[in-house]
Amino acid sequence: MSCGKPHATPCTEVLAWVSMYVDQEIDEHRRLQVTTHLAECSPCAGHYAVAVVIQARVRRTVVSEPAPVQLRAAIIAQIRGGSRPVE
Amino acid sequence: MHLHPAILSGDVGLWIMAAGPDLAERFENEALIYLDQLYGAAMRMTRNPADAEDLVQETYAKAFAAFESFTSGTNVRAWLFRILTNTYINIYRKKKRQPYISGSEDFTDWNLHESESHSSVGLRSAEAEALDQLADRDVVDALAALPEDFAHAIYLADIEGFTYREIAEIMDTPVGTVMSRIHRGRKILREQLTDYAIERGFISAPTGGGGQ
Repeated sequence: MSCGKPHATPCTEVLAWVSMYVDQEIDEHRRLQVTTHLAECSPCAGHYAVAVVIQARVRRTVVSEPAPVQLRAAIIAQIRGGSRPVE
Repeated sequence: MHLHPAILSGDVGLWIMAAGPDLAERFENEALIYLDQLYGAAMRMTRNPADAEDLVQETYAKAFAAFESFTSGTNVRAWLFRILTNTYINIYRKKKRQPYISGSEDFTDWNLHESESHSSVGLRSAEAEALDQLADRDVVDALAALPEDFAHAIYLADIEGFTYREIAEIMDTPVGTVMSRIHRGRKILREQLTDYAIERGFISAPTGGGGQ
């Protein structure tokens, strides 16, 4: 589906590349194609906005607690203790 | 990056017999500094503190056993996450007997293009705003409902900041599979979150004919 306007790069391709674009895992040539497309196609720009919001929500939501102190102590003891085999 | 043969075979019976204090110290400086990150990942994978602690301890035991032959200067953090992931799959996934994700995960443009389309402008921008208003709880639930491999790939990218290439090493898959898992995982996440947004009344349900 297209927004109806002519684009150098079709919407379907841009939508397929959005994840890689968000992660900056896209080659320079494609990156420019996507950037150009997003500037002229508001439905795709909206789709990109959603992808950015979701990534931000994931980052904000997943908060990890630090490892328990006894875990650190156990690992250090294991390393320094030296001779206890792990099964 | 390569793993010590003992790690691959799962035989770590004779570790650290000859480990000197220098090796232990170097290990603490170079590997143990990632303890909190590994524990966070382990908590997310096992979903309970006792299993997470066991998983991390096992991971560090294996890592230390192989550390002497580990080339310094290589990516210790990715290497540790790889051992963590392997250990998890070998121990916990078997235990849980969780079915592996079915269907092809090969990355092809066809896969990605399939059913990709955008709906109207208004809906999409409203969607971005609505998703921003959702409670954290909804995001947590949506992530927890994802297929495990998709969630892990997204977690490694978004939370741990690994590149696709590193994630491919960690998950022992081709880079194309990583792309596919992240892309498809986010697509499922988006659909789930949009459903929540509709349920919560942050967005109105699309009426027929409006795109997908």
